[in-house]
Amino acid sequence: MTPYEQGLAALRAAQYPVPVRSRGVIALLEENCTVCMVCARECPDWCIEIDSHKETLPPRTERGRPRVLHVLDRFAIDFALCMWCGICIEACPFDALFWSPELPPATRDPAELVHERAELRAWLATVPAPPALDPAAAPAKEQQDADRRSGPG
Amino acid sequence: MTAATTAYGVVTVDVDRAEWPRAVTQARDEGFAFFDLLTAVDREGDGFDVVLRLWDPRRRTGLVLRTRCPRDDARVPTLLGVFAGAGWHERATAELFGIAFEGHVTTPLLLPASFEGHPLRKEFVLAARVAKRWPGAKEPGESDADLATPSRRRPQPPGVPPGWGERS
Ligand code: SF4
Ligand code: SF4
Repeated sequence: MTPYEQGLAALRAAQYPVPVRSRGVIALLEENCTVCMVCARECPDWCIEIDSHKETLPPRTERGRPRVLHVLDRFAIDFALCMWCGICIEACPFDALFWSPELPPATRDPAELVHERAELRAWLATVPAPPALDPAAAPAKEQQDADRRSGPG
Repeated sequence: MTAATTAYGVVTVDVDRAEWPRAVTQARDEGFAFFDLLTAVDREGDGFDVVLRLWDPRRRTGLVLRTRCPRDDARVPTLLGVFAGAGWHERATAELFGIAFEGHVTTPLLLPASFEGHPLRKEFVLAARVAKRWPGAKEPGESDADLATPSRRRPQPPGVPPGWGERS
């Protein structure tokens, strides 16, 4: 290891104490991403690259119609360009993007600041839980749906 | 004419540009003695806002002063006589917005001498916007290869004039 790499490793190992809601790095929940392209179009820095293709699903019922699905092939964020505005996270209509307080690791090569899908996915583990709802608030829509489905009848 | 407004907990005082140094001197003498920053905002048809933030170190409170100049007469009196430290900010604002500070011969601060234009004006198109392909041009279900087929009208990136960056 060169001294530079030693320093880098020390930096990466250090648990730098940052507030939990810090804007560190952006995490991707692929399951929620519908490849709508909204984030790539809203990003003022043009740093989100998305590739996808179409797949046709056979009809579910005999008289049904085939459905076209967009399948994600590539999702990358260039943290060398990103300015941490959070617009992509705000704009995503499907809650597929989240702030993680972790910092993208320092590198010597700006190309390494392009985080591909797998890396963005891995940051999910570091995303803090959302703030609790107000005690008087109605349960979230998803919760209401789930309760209705699992409820009696 | 001066008018004060409060938004998001920030008190902003709008000042006529003829009154600009006098109003800032008054604020300084009232305790807002720390010069924080000076910059501008491009209001397009309405001209430019020159924005100054001061801080009162004793009361620990800030104040924003703002003046406006028309686009075709983009000049504001300098604050060099009130805060010597304003010089640096006026130099940056002059080259980035193309606003003249009367009484201050601003020399370039951040941009190379050969640079043309004022990059923080709304009409300024960044060269990177031409050199780089817009990632949002792809439709859902498309990848880079699909962009090669010039089939139908593609969405245009905001803030880039039509035709810019199109290569045939
Ligand atoms: S935080 Fe802002 S600059 Fe960064 S990827 Fe999202 S929209 Fe783009
Ligand atoms: S806005 Fe959300 S759902 Fe749409 S492409 Fe981006 S991450 Fe996926």
